[in-house]
Amino acid sequence: MAFQNKRKFCYFKENGIVDIDYKDVKLLRRFVNDQGKIMPRRITGTSAKMHRKLVRAIKRSRSIALMPYVENNLD
Amino acid sequence: MRYYETIYIVDPNLENAILEKTMTEIGQELEKTKAKIINHRDWGKKRLAYQVENQKYGSFILLQFEIKELSKMKDFDSWLKLNSLVLRHMTVSLDQKPEKYVDKSIVSEDNDADLPLDSNDKKVDDEKKIDPETTETNKEK
Repeated sequence: MAFQNKRKFCYFKENGIVDIDYKDVKLLRRFVNDQGKIMPRRITGTSAKMHRKLVRAIKRSRSIALMPYVENNLD
Repeated sequence: MRYYETIYIVDPNLENAILEKTMTEIGQELEKTKAKIINHRDWGKKRLAYQVENQKYGSFILLQFEIKELSKMKDFDSWLKLNSLVLRHMTVSLDQKPEKYVDKSIVSEDNDADLPLDSNDKKVDDEKKIDPETTETNKEK
């Protein structure tokens, strides 16, 4: 898993990302679980400001069919 | 003056000629609202995360523009909705002025153009190298 590090940090602040583009699916995929649900801030360590932007970007890319609303990976 | 970006999905099975025709049609429709188109490009064929109108794939097209009168955007939005070739569309406002998209294929062509020049230089070098040898051989003779 991507978030097993002991030290939590905001991915966006660390990498100097200010605006999150909804078209960048590869990036957004990191913050979504196998079912396509948005991961909580307490697990990803994203700062509150960037988490709000992240949520908006993920919801936008869902509405244009770049990312799934639901993905059934439960076996 | 604000900048907006419209992304729309078109049927992936369309021929290139029809696709370009619909793109120009949509561009003309947008220009009726006195918008200035900055970018209008094909983003490529992608797999959709879920089926839209029974399509698994779709070709995405990006349209970035600036507009003064927002009220006219409603007409464009409803027109896109009625367009049967457009599976889905979304308009988003941009914070900054979008950069003009430069096709990477053109850049690569420039690189190709540079390469022959380099090879020419090498040829010249080779000739220079050959020249002293020939002169030496001449001296020997």
